[in-house]
Amino acid sequence: MIQVVAILAGAVGAVARYTAGGWVQRRTGPRFPSGTAAVNLAGALCLGVAAGALDPGSGAHALAAGFLGGFTTFSTWMVETLALGRRSSERLLALANLTLLLALGVAVAAAGYRVAS
Amino acid sequence: MGPAAAALAVAGRGVGSCAGAIRRINGCDNAMRRGAGSIRPPRTLPILAVAAGGVIGSTGRVLAAEVGPHPASGWPVTTLAVNLIGAFLLGAYLARRQRAVTGPWSLQMWAIGALGSFTTFSGFSLEVVQLLEAGRSGIAAWYVAASMIGGLAAAIAGDAAGSRRL
Repeated sequence: MIQVVAILAGAVGAVARYTAGGWVQRRTGPRFPSGTAAVNLAGALCLGVAAGALDPGSGAHALAAGFLGGFTTFSTWMVETLALGRRSSERLLALANLTLLLALGVAVAAAGYRVAS
Repeated sequence: MGPAAAALAVAGRGVGSCAGAIRRINGCDNAMRRGAGSIRPPRTLPILAVAAGGVIGSTGRVLAAEVGPHPASGWPVTTLAVNLIGAFLLGAYLARRQRAVTGPWSLQMWAIGALGSFTTFSGFSLEVVQLLEAGRSGIAAWYVAASMIGGLAAAIAGDAAGSRRL
């Protein structure tokens, strides 16, 4: 049952990623994959908070983790980084997309976890 | 490289344009059409496609977490496997899409919905934090390296596999 909650929350998270990521991307222009970066960082922060504040076996935790699992994406991050890196003029942006998102994702997840626990 | 490299090209080709993978992944194409003052495209169908794909991808991720191994060493092997498989499949899907006719909302369903929600950035980030909190910084560093190098390699391999003639 708790798995069904996590799966349905993940589908809602996917729709939230599509709409929120598209909204950010349209406002920041096409040069940098800002939509994926924004949803991933927001999701990492929220999962840090959820992990710090909620009991891992609870329904609320399953709901939050399921939603944020669907909201954030690793595959799109990798494919967009690769696509940037294949244009020689965009190599630095590709490196920034990889390293900045990695460092910021861990930092905001840690901050959320520490504040909430 | 080959034609699939162009398939994954990201940068826009004109001011205000929204070209390449970003447009395809983030749904800029709908915004572009609205911005051009033409008829509003249907908003419901792509969202339903993302939701349907999200059910498929989330089911895969939740099932993997249920049945996947949780080694005592703390290595997050299940998330690593899910993320690398998802990066491979997304690279393959986008390359294949350049060469084959797909349905109208196939991209929203499979790339954005299913493969987007199958993989997870937040879970990855939290696992790195938890490894560091537990004092296992060595495993955390290897996990980060395996995810970054493996993720890029998986996307490249998927692109190559999807670009091959059937």
